[in-house]
Amino acid sequence: MATTERPRTFVRPDGIEKVTGTGRYTADLVLPGQLYAKFRYAERSRARIVRVDLERARSLPGVLAVVTHEDVPDVRYGHMVQDRRLFARDEVRFEGEIVAAVAATTPEVAARAAALIEVEYEPLPPLTDIETALEEGAPLVHEEWESYGGDDELGRDRNVLGRSVIVKGDPDAAMAEADVVVRGRYVADASQGAPIEPRAVVAQWQGEKLTVWSSTQVPYIARSVIARVLELPESHVRVIVPLLGGGFGSKCDFHFEAHVAALARAAGRPVKLVFSRAEEFFAPDHRREGMVIELETGARSDGTIVARRGRLLLDGGAYCGEGGFFAQMAAMHACGPYELENVRIDSSLVYTNRQPSGSIRAPTAPQTCWAVEQHMDELAEALGLDPVELRRRTLIREGSESPTRQVFGPVSIRQTLDRAAELIGYGRELPENEGIGIASAWWPSFGGESGAYLKLNADGTGTIVTGAQENGSGAVMGLPLLVARTLGMRPDDFSLLYQDTDAAPWDGGSSGSQTTFNNGRAVVEAAVEVRRQLLELAAEELEVDPGDLELADGEARVKGAPGRGVAIAELAGSGKTIIGKGSGRVPDAPATAPDPGCVGRLGMESFLEPQLMTHAVHVRVDPDTGVVRVLRVVAVHDSGTILNRVGADGQVYGGVVMGIGQALTEATQFDDDGRQRNPHLLDYKLVTASDAPAIDIEWIETPAVDGGPFGAKGIGEPPCVPTPAAVANAIAAATGRRVRRLPMTAERVWEAGR
Amino acid sequence: MKVAATLTVNGVDYPVELDPHTTLLRAIREHVGLTGSKEGCDDSECGACMVLLDDEPVNSCSYLALQAEGRRITTVEGLAGGSGLSPLQQAFLEHGGVQCGFCTPGMLISATALLRRTPSPSEDDVRIALSGNLCRCTGYDGIVKAVLDVAGR
Amino acid sequence: MSRSLLVAASVEEALGELAGGARAVAGGTDLVVGARQGKAPLPERLVAVHRLAELATMEEADGVLRLGAGVTHARVAADLRVRARLAALADASTIVGSHATRAQGTIGGNVMNASPAADTVGPLICFGASLRLRSASASRTVPLEGFATGPGTTAAEPGELLEAVEIPLPGEGAGSAYLRLDYRRQMEIAVVGVAALVRLDGGRVADARVAITALAPTVRRVPDAEEILAGTTGGADTLEALGEAVAAASRPISDVRGSAAYRSAMAAVIARRAVQAALERAR
Repeated sequence: MATTERPRTFVRPDGIEKVTGTGRYTADLVLPGQLYAKFRYAERSRARIVRVDLERARSLPGVLAVVTHEDVPDVRYGHMVQDRRLFARDEVRFEGEIVAAVAATTPEVAARAAALIEVEYEPLPPLTDIETALEEGAPLVHEEWESYGGDDELGRDRNVLGRSVIVKGDPDAAMAEADVVVRGRYVADASQGAPIEPRAVVAQWQGEKLTVWSSTQVPYIARSVIARVLELPESHVRVIVPLLGGGFGSKCDFHFEAHVAALARAAGRPVKLVFSRAEEFFAPDHRREGMVIELETGARSDGTIVARRGRLLLDGGAYCGEGGFFAQMAAMHACGPYELENVRIDSSLVYTNRQPSGSIRAPTAPQTCWAVEQHMDELAEALGLDPVELRRRTLIREGSESPTRQVFGPVSIRQTLDRAAELIGYGRELPENEGIGIASAWWPSFGGESGAYLKLNADGTGTIVTGAQENGSGAVMGLPLLVARTLGMRPDDFSLLYQDTDAAPWDGGSSGSQTTFNNGRAVVEAAVEVRRQLLELAAEELEVDPGDLELADGEARVKGAPGRGVAIAELAGSGKTIIGKGSGRVPDAPATAPDPGCVGRLGMESFLEPQLMTHAVHVRVDPDTGVVRVLRVVAVHDSGTILNRVGADGQVYGGVVMGIGQALTEATQFDDDGRQRNPHLLDYKLVTASDAPAIDIEWIETPAVDGGPFGAKGIGEPPCVPTPAAVANAIAAATGRRVRRLPMTAERVWEAGR
Repeated sequence: MKVAATLTVNGVDYPVELDPHTTLLRAIREHVGLTGSKEGCDDSECGACMVLLDDEPVNSCSYLALQAEGRRITTVEGLAGGSGLSPLQQAFLEHGGVQCGFCTPGMLISATALLRRTPSPSEDDVRIALSGNLCRCTGYDGIVKAVLDVAGR
Repeated sequence: MSRSLLVAASVEEALGELAGGARAVAGGTDLVVGARQGKAPLPERLVAVHRLAELATMEEADGVLRLGAGVTHARVAADLRVRARLAALADASTIVGSHATRAQGTIGGNVMNASPAADTVGPLICFGASLRLRSASASRTVPLEGFATGPGTTAAEPGELLEAVEIPLPGEGAGSAYLRLDYRRQMEIAVVGVAALVRLDGGRVADARVAITALAPTVRRVPDAEEILAGTTGGADTLEALGEAVAAASRPISDVRGSAAYRSAMAAVIARRAVQAALERAR
């Protein structure tokens, strides 16, 4: 294993355009003749559409198109269940459902026209509670659920959109034998990705060909769904992503691209959609799912966990979106990175008449971890053991067997625990009303197809053409480091062509922390091919065997013979085409052997190259008001080999602060009718600079055995996973009280202390 | 009715015709044609639209453009000098203070206003001054370090 | 009528526009933000008063600090007289919005917007501030207390411009504070706020004012709390009783920012702390 190259400062290739304001985001684009889109939303959570009258909207001067379900093919879409149409046809199922769309010459005219659309509804009682939705005789969010196409493994049943059951051994018998049993019920509110850039889409038709500029994290997935719902060949659809102003999962999946394309086609002009902040809150089928988490754990007096039973309910909202796998992912996190002898976790993703849930940075994990890690502290208390000591005894190690009987390779989670405890000064005396909490967590790396080209220019610089998508994390920005390392060149020798579906091979996009893991491998493979070509050219030039050559410092040179070499620029300028392509071998999912009774195998039953981490948090609680201030966070992570320290640290800083928001202030609140009460940043409170604490980061680098380039794992999502849990345990340490509602708002902390 | 006005942005006079309700942000982005300043919210919370008005910060999304006539407007495009990036711009890049970049223009403006008023701020001064600029990517760490780095020079 | 915005060059010009039905705008931090939030559309006829030098003055004469209505929160917060003698107002002006809000938003705007959550109004009421209102035909001075008649409504007559806020400077032995319940350290809107002014004479409270913010339809004083304080040394039992009186006088609502029960309990906590801080400053 080579030493990791760590530039002291790595300036991202898109940095200068971002600090000078010359970079272009989707909302910055202006096309000749461009119109402005506005949607007419349902604004109610459940109703049958009786009548839609577009006449007044159509006759408003400046309106060039008004479209509804009648103007697009009758195609249902959705990742694992095809349960949604572009425009509502018979029934609206959440407030952000789109009934019609308008294109007009100005945003103001478009808004006025959208308001002039007359929609008559027959009100239906909305289903807004996940537990009610499971009751016998509850109304169905989708009466035709059985007719929908969907993944057979989901185990759909009426309002249950997906179910996962993990069984190992005999938890009932083991629980009965346990020395100590603890039980807990934890309830998490929904929250939001809340990127600072509200989404935007521009669509333009040229003949039969459609170009869409979109603030999407997943351009290839967006393209395939556009093609599907508008019944176009993918070759006729090109998706380009200008600079993307953050996503955090909320811009995953196909969203509004086809609506805008339908408007542009009807109007015969390019059309631009830019969301207001309110729309960014209520309209996307992406929010972090609300959850009910019930856990019961039995242990022997030495801490050995003999049994865990759990029941999880996840609020899936009105449509599947891309969140169909949530029940299984949550079930895996309800087990957590612990050695459990006997397990039964029953997890259901439930339809309600609320905004659909979708992936937000490590979906299901922060809430579930928040419950599990509080539960572990409660178990420690019941056992009379220190919480850190209990974790030392029960966390997975090399050779441990997971609840689905995956056998783990090298595992460093204890090291992350020990270092986090040491760095925060665990166990020291603290002033009154202060406390330290610890939480450990895991998150898988996701193997997937990806591709890249690498071409050298005549002056010896190069261009990386990649399907990978940059959402701000810097994952794509780090790709030149990998190429430079492979070719003995400098990172700034390379430009990037990316975020254009016509230019590069398919990629899963900026989701699942997969860019470095998968596209990094592809880019390295392309670079290896270029290296081979360069070495062959150099071997000819220098009249030596290619095996005796190496690439370093911008030249191909004879190993051990300084001064005998040829510049890469010279080889590149020789007139030969130097081009490489790569995709890399996708790592296999680790083998599992689930016990009988397991339900719902969607691919999360094993965790490929799991990322492992422990956070330690120091808080001060105002006992009279319940206001919590986070004073310091220590984050110790193992994401395998770290290739770009600046980028990796950036993910942890941002993830921890997002986790603090989830812990304390971020919640989407719904009224009794299922509508959002706080779709704006004044009352959906993100963490400000003055609330963000000092954060100390340490990396434990255990190279992945079967992972990304040079032993890397994923990195982007999990930094927000253990933070809310560690904050919760710190609050409990400070106050002696547990807060079992997330976020742990001042009022809830105060209530718990009464 | 549109009103003729002149907006002075980054030292250049731009003749514009504006509806009286036009916000300064929209005037800068659509009439002047500088899109560096961003729109991120509806309630003056995120600060992505922040510009300087006679050296004082203003959320341009919530300010009427005609009120800015006769005053010096500075946007992110006006921060770099003739010789290249401003020290703050350079420091943002070096400290990892830029990720998605959407908050960056407002952050830079906010930090510029802070350092003009308080040349040697404490870390807490920086954090408080930047609280009207929300960032979802960086956890503020690289941004705060960048501002302190420049202030310490 | 067509939409208009006149940038007034003189108070007279502004008054003429106001007489014609225009609405005044200074920093825009309430009016324009409110329109963007969808609370109320921008008025069709606007008069901008930010250029009026007469409104931007801060003068002290005869024991009264006269703050022009156009003085920004940032200037109020930085003013040494305010910090020394009107500390509660400095407390409030320091925590309004972000530094951009404070650089553009004005004391006059905060008063005229008549929000129940206006941070500067509680301190101003405690100090016994009055408002100098002027129309094209007349001028008058009214007490700030009672000026707001409900959320967003005031006793100002159509056509009246707020010229200045006149604040009698408290005498020897006075101390004041404004405290807000803040979920975050910055960028908060008042959920519970309490302003307190005390004057000590020989270690006892000779005079006390307590006002509550975001706990009733308007910012208002709590006479019961003031009576409890009067004549005491401000000991623990007094503060306990004071907190209860403030909670009892509150008419909190339940909304996304907190339940009425929580607000009520916090009214007591914040009131005790605000009075405690005022007492410490007075000592």
